[in-house]
Amino acid sequence: MLKIAVMIKQVPDSQDISIDPVTKTLNRSMARNVVNPPDVNATEAAVQLKDKYGGEITAITMGPPMADTALLQLMGMGVDNGILVTDRVFAGADTWPTAFTLASVADYLGGFDVIFCGEETTDSSTGHVGPGIAEFLGCEQATYVHKVEYEDGFFVVTRDIEGAEETIKIGKPAVITITLNANEPRNPTLKRKIAAYKKGVRVVTNKELQLDPACIGLKGSPTIVKDMKTVPDPVKNPSKLGVEDMEKLVSVLIEKGVVK
Amino acid sequence: MPDYDAIVVGAGNAGSAAAITMASKGLSVLLVDRSDPPGAKNLSGGVLWGNDLARILPKWQSEAPLERYIQNKKIGFLTDDSSIIIDFKTKIFEENKVGYTVLRSKFDPWLAKKAKEAGAMVIPGITVESLAKKDGKIVGVVESGDTITASVVILAEGINPRLAIEAGLREPLQDWEVSVGVKEIIKMSPQKIEDRFNLTSTSGMASEYIMGNLKELNVGAFFYTNKDSISLGIVSPMEQLRANGVTHTYDIIEQFKEHPSIAPLIEGGTVAEYGAHMIPEGGLEMIPKLYGDGYMIVGDAAGFGFSNGLVLQGMNYAFLSGILAGETAVEAKGRNDFSENFLALYKQKLEGSYVLKDLKTFKDIRKVTNNKNMYTVYPKMLESILLEMLWERGQPKKKVRDILSSCAADLNLSKLKTATDFYYIYRRM
Repeated sequence: MLKIAVMIKQVPDSQDISIDPVTKTLNRSMARNVVNPPDVNATEAAVQLKDKYGGEITAITMGPPMADTALLQLMGMGVDNGILVTDRVFAGADTWPTAFTLASVADYLGGFDVIFCGEETTDSSTGHVGPGIAEFLGCEQATYVHKVEYEDGFFVVTRDIEGAEETIKIGKPAVITITLNANEPRNPTLKRKIAAYKKGVRVVTNKELQLDPACIGLKGSPTIVKDMKTVPDPVKNPSKLGVEDMEKLVSVLIEKGVVK
Repeated sequence: MPDYDAIVVGAGNAGSAAAITMASKGLSVLLVDRSDPPGAKNLSGGVLWGNDLARILPKWQSEAPLERYIQNKKIGFLTDDSSIIIDFKTKIFEENKVGYTVLRSKFDPWLAKKAKEAGAMVIPGITVESLAKKDGKIVGVVESGDTITASVVILAEGINPRLAIEAGLREPLQDWEVSVGVKEIIKMSPQKIEDRFNLTSTSGMASEYIMGNLKELNVGAFFYTNKDSISLGIVSPMEQLRANGVTHTYDIIEQFKEHPSIAPLIEGGTVAEYGAHMIPEGGLEMIPKLYGDGYMIVGDAAGFGFSNGLVLQGMNYAFLSGILAGETAVEAKGRNDFSENFLALYKQKLEGSYVLKDLKTFKDIRKVTNNKNMYTVYPKMLESILLEMLWERGQPKKKVRDILSSCAADLNLSKLKTATDFYYIYRRM
């Protein structure tokens, strides 16, 4: 039976966020919170693995108390346990303390055979946290994966590389980051969701974890944001067509093999 | 033993009110909504009057996410060039503070949270697939092949009640039963709103117009102030939209926004959100059978809406019908009888309330709201009278009677038709 973890994050729906032109920070006030989309693919990969080989899945997130709904949604998909790592001292973390904290939580929970992450988050797009967790835990890793099999104690994963794909075999324990649209995530079901809401999520604070305050939250974050610039929207000119010769465009697309 | 005493489908005003009523009386309640947070996809173009809400949540005024209380209510007509508006501002509104503008995407999740606090199991982000039936009774809901059972299912699924229709509990919606509402939320600073509309930091304005500048369509429009935004929109009967081949309702909302007396009010604002929704306007004739073995239908799903062109009612009917269905379920639980016979109590309760009384009193209102003259000729006529009376053009004045008859002649209107129109407006409104 595999011990599986999924590291997830609740993010503002990217369709709803804008940048405040005055404060230059993200305006999230109009945005609904959703599970970071590649994390949903990572969860689906975990559930498929569990369905095929047996196991127990624990979804872990570090975030504010309201992030519990993200965990409950994934429990509706087939995740067994939800862990909400929440504490004021974790706030303001960049990718280094985030990876450190999540790796520590994985360790604290007794370790996992495989930890799934989304390839990156839609609200900061670094892709650091998955590999960071692997480094802190000293385990094997595969990034940008869209296919996972488990054979003879090894994970056989297929990753996207530029212009091709690569299939590799990695040992346990492993961190695997899953690409957006790697699979088609199942919908949560009512029955599973009722069970999830009855069970609830487990809240873990730093009182329990006892991590060094210098390594977590804003204090543990080496990144300094010096400035943020907004790029103006391209000027739209409806009177001028973007494409003057449609036929020429189509023939070029056919020639390049983009369309058939 | 069923899984729950009651399952409520839909966490809008009606569904959450029913869930709160039942859960606070100790019933086990499952409230399911398709969006997460629950109710976040709901939309309204009206003002929330809290009389009914106060029955289940006495502290609603201090706890609910409200925008501004209505201090100032305006109703009027718009023609191509003019606006004729009654501006009603009263100390009575100021002292009572029971009418509020709300943004449903904030209000509904709050109301669902109240249901959870009352003890209901609130599950967001799930669309129920169908109703479970056994021996002709509704016994629960079905989702992903699983059946969750309950003694009673309360259908609060909104204006397009797919589950009720598929289970044969009501007919599919007809064009004449609904209007289409299109709405925009326009961001504006509170300071600008308060200066522009002569408001304090908590007071607000709500207005409703009859658009007399659209020839083929009977369109009503609304406009009201939130804390830091303006909600505006138009409402048009589906039947007329279809008959006139109108598929782009945003053209109509643009015409409203560009009207010379509306455009300056939204100048400098930016559109933050937009949406469209159907509104029940079929009155008494569209109300289905409201209950049966193991089910009750509440709110928009039951067709509880009212419009006379100037006043829109929906949210308050939703609260009250939800509460009354909830109370009925509580009594049914006491008797352990969820049969059609016992649930008839729900209809009795509705008949004793203003919901069905209003719909009965105004059962002929559609003959007024469907009267084209209300939307084209009479606004124009009012405009002509006011021009004649208020515009000094160095010409001899006319009596109102003469103005009226010359207007009627200009507008190709027979005296008889005008007289009958006014008679019916008088009788039906």
